[in-house]
Amino acid sequence: MAWFTDRHFFLLAVLVYGVSTVYSVFLWRRGFRRDDHVNYFLLLAAFALHTIAMFKRGFSINQCPVNNLYEATIFIAWAIVAAYLVVGLLPRLRFLGAFASPVLFAIGVFALMPALDPPRGPKPEFSGALTSLHAATIMLAYGAFGLGAVAAGMFLTQQHDLKFHKLRAVLSLLPPIQRLEIVASRLVLVGLVLFTIGLEAGRFLPRPEGVSYWQDAKVVWSILMWLIYLGLLVMRRLFPQSSRRFASGVIGAFAFLLLTFWGTNLLSTLHHP
Amino acid sequence: MNVIVIGLSHHSSPVELRERFAFADAKIPGALKSLRESGIANEAVILSTCNRVEIYVATPLEPARAFMQLKQFLVTAHACDAALGDELYTLAEPQSLQHLFKVACGLDSMVLGETEILGQLKKAYDLAFQYKHTGARLNKAFQRAFHVAKHVRTETNIQRGSVSVASVAVELAEKIFNSLADRDVLVIGAGETSEKTARALLSRGARSIIVANRSHDRAVALAGELGGRAVPFDDWAGEFQKIDIAISSTSAPHHILDRAKLEPLMKLRHHRPLLLIDIAVPRDIDPEVNFLENVYLYNIDDLQAIADDYLRLRQEEIARCEQIIAEKVKALLGYTRQEMVGDVVRVACCVKNPVKIEGV
Repeated sequence: MAWFTDRHFFLLAVLVYGVSTVYSVFLWRRGFRRDDHVNYFLLLAAFALHTIAMFKRGFSINQCPVNNLYEATIFIAWAIVAAYLVVGLLPRLRFLGAFASPVLFAIGVFALMPALDPPRGPKPEFSGALTSLHAATIMLAYGAFGLGAVAAGMFLTQQHDLKFHKLRAVLSLLPPIQRLEIVASRLVLVGLVLFTIGLEAGRFLPRPEGVSYWQDAKVVWSILMWLIYLGLLVMRRLFPQSSRRFASGVIGAFAFLLLTFWGTNLLSTLHHP
Repeated sequence: MNVIVIGLSHHSSPVELRERFAFADAKIPGALKSLRESGIANEAVILSTCNRVEIYVATPLEPARAFMQLKQFLVTAHACDAALGDELYTLAEPQSLQHLFKVACGLDSMVLGETEILGQLKKAYDLAFQYKHTGARLNKAFQRAFHVAKHVRTETNIQRGSVSVASVAVELAEKIFNSLADRDVLVIGAGETSEKTARALLSRGARSIIVANRSHDRAVALAGELGGRAVPFDDWAGEFQKIDIAISSTSAPHHILDRAKLEPLMKLRHHRPLLLIDIAVPRDIDPEVNFLENVYLYNIDDLQAIADDYLRLRQEEIARCEQIIAEKVKALLGYTRQEMVGDVVRVACCVKNPVKIEGV
């Protein structure tokens, strides 16, 4: 079984995410009229494979597997699915899975690109408990932001159907829009707290001589992301009428995060020396 | 012994006739007793609701003879001289069992797929069982009918969704609000449908009802019935700050609520979601308000369209339900025959090898 590496396990997990995505399209076409415990168990199976992949990688390098873009990306996806499996225990929120699986599948396919997982050098690029805390909390924060975006997507779908009097709005088993908005905002809040802890932990990490935090693209980008999410929560508090804008903002912020995460990582001298 | 049914229902007869043959609950045990004493039936159950009067019996007689005697029994029991013709239906096995299963599943109900009939059927059976007017045949048939009803409910969409305007409104509210428990409802214009809708919302946990009507006395009366409070008609807008759902059914010839009026009210309510149910014709609420954020407006046609769609979905399920019922009836009849064969074998064994009882 030695030839069956952690990447193979992750590949299997991505295939199950793919099956879940196809099933989600079926659920969507049927107007979400069935409780998708099937999807929940598919994602649970994928989560098990995903976790094995991460454990194998972690044991092989003797630390939390967040040392390159591949590991960081699969950690984000793992955090999203872990958060979903907890939230999905509530039957009324289980449909988050139908919206989460396409996101997980897309992230998984992206993570499998070989360039993101170059052969390891003699030493890990990062090491130490503080580094693990920094990386793990930030990845979990991304997971919470991702699931928040999924809940916001469900909110927008359901709100649109209710506004335009679609039968699907009452036929579907989606939760009420007020609950979806609460779930999305709480996930963003949890994500922001984790993100803050992760960034704070990063401040105490050693940095190479002559490199300033403020000149590092990833640090500047992270602070920008932090401000965006803080701004979304503040705006929601100040302008409660803009539920739709808040939901769109949460989706937009996560899309921006996904699209710029890898680029800023490559530009960062601290994260990509 | 055959299970047969004779009866009248909303399909076959008008209410004027059904009410003449209805059995009061208190009189059913006596009627069942006389049915059995007359020799028409060994077992009997009488189902009497506003939509049907049916007598289910397990009889040793030939069905044709049993039907004639049951018809006579119905006429005599109600001292009714009305001539009964096509209004009365008579079914023998297996159609009688299929009919029982269909009734239990709500397939024969006025509102397709409704569940109230199942409760009424259980009550009728319990009453007969309590007075020991049922035996092996009817016990098995009714218990199987309840089981089939449960099976059909879980396996098909026959009972899915709401087919009345009031219950559609409740469903919509449940799709908007996290919970109905802390929601306040304003009724503007105390019409029949708005009253039904308010009652439906209360039954699902709405916190309070506020009634505004042009006739304040009527508002006070309705508020009293619903356990709410009445406000003068001109003050209804002042309540918008507190309420979450408004049901409007005034006879005003123009819109009583438009975008210009609602916008400042939404600010006062801190833009909490607001469900507006406009069941008035002509409409009370300007459709433009639906463009406001967090406002969800449904008029009578929107609600009726959803109810009709639900009904269509239920009708699409009828074939599936009937297939399930046909299978279950076949299984029940097969089981009964096996049981009868088993009884014959047991009797034959006893005759061949009589059990010796000590001391005898």
